[in-house]
Amino acid sequence: MKLSRSQILEFLSENGFIIIFIIWCLFLAIVTPPFRSISNLMTVLRQASIIGIVAIGEMLIVLMGSGMDISLASILGLCGVSAAMLMVAGWSLPAAVCAGVLLGGLVGMINGLMVTRMRINGIVVTLGMMYALEGVGFVLTKGQTISGPTVISLAPLSRGYFGPVPVPVLILFFFYAVAFYVLNYTVFGARSYAVGANERASWLSGINIDRLRLLSYIIAGLLAGFGGVMQTSRMGSATGGMGSEFLFPILTAVILAGVSLSGGKGKILNVLIGAIFLATIANGLILLNVPIYIQKIISGVILVLALSLDRLRNIGGRA
Amino acid sequence: MSAKIEFHNITKVFPGVKALDGVSFAVETGEVHGLVGENGAGKSTLIKIISGALNAESGEMLLDGKVFHPAGPQDSIIAGISSIYQERSFLPERNVMFNIMLGREKGSSLGRLDFGEMKKKCREVLKLLHSENIGLDLKAGDLKAGQKQILEIGRALVQKSSVLIMDEPTSALNLEERESLFQGIKRLQAEGMTIIYVSHRLEEIFRLADRVTVLRDGKWIQTSRINEINKDDLIKAMVGREWTGSFPSKNAEPGKPVLEVEGLSGKSFRNISFQLRQGEVIGITGLAGSGKEELGQALFGAYPIIGGRIKIAGEEISPTPWTAIKAGIAYLPEDRKTEGIIQSLSVRRNISLPILGKLSGLIGNIRIKQERELAQSWVDQLGIKTPGLEQVCENLSGGNQQKVVLAKWLASRARLIILACPTQEVDVVVKFELYRLISELSRKGIAIILISSDLPEIVGVSRRVLVMRNGEIAAELESGRVESETILRYALGQAAMGGA
Repeated sequence: MKLSRSQILEFLSENGFIIIFIIWCLFLAIVTPPFRSISNLMTVLRQASIIGIVAIGEMLIVLMGSGMDISLASILGLCGVSAAMLMVAGWSLPAAVCAGVLLGGLVGMINGLMVTRMRINGIVVTLGMMYALEGVGFVLTKGQTISGPTVISLAPLSRGYFGPVPVPVLILFFFYAVAFYVLNYTVFGARSYAVGANERASWLSGINIDRLRLLSYIIAGLLAGFGGVMQTSRMGSATGGMGSEFLFPILTAVILAGVSLSGGKGKILNVLIGAIFLATIANGLILLNVPIYIQKIISGVILVLALSLDRLRNIGGRA
Repeated sequence: MSAKIEFHNITKVFPGVKALDGVSFAVETGEVHGLVGENGAGKSTLIKIISGALNAESGEMLLDGKVFHPAGPQDSIIAGISSIYQERSFLPERNVMFNIMLGREKGSSLGRLDFGEMKKKCREVLKLLHSENIGLDLKAGDLKAGQKQILEIGRALVQKSSVLIMDEPTSALNLEERESLFQGIKRLQAEGMTIIYVSHRLEEIFRLADRVTVLRDGKWIQTSRINEINKDDLIKAMVGREWTGSFPSKNAEPGKPVLEVEGLSGKSFRNISFQLRQGEVIGITGLAGSGKEELGQALFGAYPIIGGRIKIAGEEISPTPWTAIKAGIAYLPEDRKTEGIIQSLSVRRNISLPILGKLSGLIGNIRIKQERELAQSWVDQLGIKTPGLEQVCENLSGGNQQKVVLAKWLASRARLIILACPTQEVDVVVKFELYRLISELSRKGIAIILISSDLPEIVGVSRRVLVMRNGEIAAELESGRVESETILRYALGQAAMGGA
């Protein structure tokens, strides 16, 4: 079948970053043989797991036209710290994990209530929440690193293997399978896309937008909480500022995936690919022995390249 | 007269539809050229091609005898072609001056704005349009609909356009505003401007146009001098067959009460009480600002209520759109393109959206097969022209988008349907199709509220008429016994109160 120019542009505009991703992977596969090993693939996926899981929640917020949730990385940090402290305080492992995750959901609910009840802009609410939570994290830890043998007992969650596959990678794929199903085949998913595309028309179609949006913030909070527990498990310890390094990767994964920042458009599997892409950039640059500051520059260039291909469609004009 | 714009074999294809098929005709310099046709005939597409928003697949356009091939809207504007679309383009937060001068701001070489020069230019333009009363410092968003239109015409003048394209310019205007727009158009014509005028309101075409071109299914049918054609022939050319519009008969036997409204008050209406029975069609009319649209929204829970009660089948409901839908109410909003459908979603999903809950299983999973069958049955019943259920709505013509909205609410199996100005911007054939549908639905026992300012329609379709004025019911009339003029008098407040 012959594709027209506009169809190709359309495809590129939604999936263009994948082409850059593939080129980058091919490049790495050729120049650094270690990149090709299964164990390295698993390393990459493991590195993508936390960002990928939290990005599901971020995608949901963006998809529903709520702007962005800037507080997710801080929720991650707070929940990681809380889980670690509860373990130190002698809570059982499942109890501490659940408490960490639920705490994330609670913070998400506070975000959601401020957005839906008080009608404060979502970006403003979560920006404030980000600062507040970082403060809370440092107050709780008193600036110390929380660690100890009980914290290390969390390790299987992120360091364990199931056959050849690391546990976090299994968790990652499981979450994406669920998210894919929910977004594409359930009422909740259908309504999320509708609300993001046209809030007024959705409301007039009987969709309780506030309830749906509140739910999206809670889900995003729960996922961020889970990400926090995983990060504590990975590090074997927790610090007050442990979330901040995740802020930009989470947003980048969603933006790379081409999720429309005005809502209503986006593919969940592209977010997964976006998260993995980010991990391969870091992984590849380390394998190539690129100095740390140069790594940042190259990361920036690759990201801009990937995003610019996405925007090809707009070259024709702004009609 | 010489030709200003010539079209030779213009063809434009959208996925699944030929929007324009070998269209050729000419628009002469200095004329008002009417462009008519049914929804989906290709008028909007043709206009978008002239204004550079779309490119034709094949064919040629000549401007002043030279080949003209705009790559984008900018090219058309530079060539002197301005368009005023149905969807307005102005900056609501900026003042009148910046809006008129948009893209033609005057300034020094260093970029400092020359406010004096800009104001002078604006005043000249507004004077020409007899609209000096519009203050240059007013925020554009605060202007009345008619003034916004003037503002855009003013911009076209500043851009020194020689061609002005107007697409349904009167749809948002009241009588008075319409009148002043017509005079503005005559004045522009006297200045030598060529005007292409698209409208569903044939009386406007007959009043303004020198010549009129008819498109049908993307094809050119005819171009005639306006004084050589009458309205019936014009409609015949648009429809492609003999056509007479007559109202279907009304359902004479309403059943049990469906809706009872008691003392309902909101910001734009006060103390509204009425009853509606199964199978009854009630018309609600009134001038702009009478509160009729808001009342319709309030019954659906889409407009806040301060006091009063709404009962559905004897049970009081606290209205929000979702409780209203549960209670069996459907509401077709006035602005169907932005409020009725979701452009980026498929035809299937647009139709099923209000009843997704009913189409889903235990864990909220949508039963896709059932959803598809439901959508398909409505696409067939209403004759929605779409390449398939998965087509996104933005690729459908305006008329078919409207049918999708209708399908969506008919599929919800409502017992009460509220129609807000359903025939605005709809061509005459679809209009009467809709009247027939209303009559059919009422025979099936569905109660219908028709909100409209089209008086012949109100009289022709409804059994009872509520006339609203300043947020109150000024009269409740049996529509079989009233004429449009009586209704108008109540709407204007000139009838003796309590005399009905």
